Amino acid sequence: MDDIFTIIKSILLLLSAVLVLLAAFGILRYKDDLERVLYARIHILGVADMACILALLTLGEPLLAALYFILSPFAAHAMANGFYYGEDKQ
Amino acid sequence: MSILLMSEYILLAALAIFAVACMRIATRKTIGMGLVGTSALSIAVAVILIIVQNIYQIGFCKDIATALVILGPVGTIAFASVLRGWK
Repeated sequence: MDDIFTIIKSILLLLSAVLVLLAAFGILRYKDDLERVLYARIHILGVADMACILALLTLGEPLLAALYFILSPFAAHAMANGFYYGEDKQ
Repeated sequence: MSILLMSEYILLAALAIFAVACMRIATRKTIGMGLVGTSALSIAVAVILIIVQNIYQIGFCKDIATALVILGPVGTIAFASVLRGWK
């Protein structure tokens, strides 16, 4: 019989798996000819980022999770900023 | 097979599907899409490596995952600033 912590860890890992699958479906859902679809995809990938952080926390890597929790908003902002001033203005 | 191991395998399968979706996004024609795809792929591969380390006790997987978690967003930020231009 599994103890309560193992069951909670399993539930959190399954929740991460569901969120990751939803994000995978979400980034493929929109067509490329939609205007400024990159912002929508960055928005959807935020869900996958948080699911991966939850999985890292559950798997016993809190430092990696905290590091990615700090770095991922900067990366998302840099992508949107680069697209706005780079490709979108052309 | 314990319930925790089953959950890890299910998460592994979900991350594999997500990695294929990321690769499909990364091969679109614009540079921004490539950035989005590779950024998501780096964290997906990092979590896959951490799960592999948990299941099979392979030590160096954690080192590679640490490098991916640090260098993935840093590379994305650097490439996005090049895409933005130095104006």
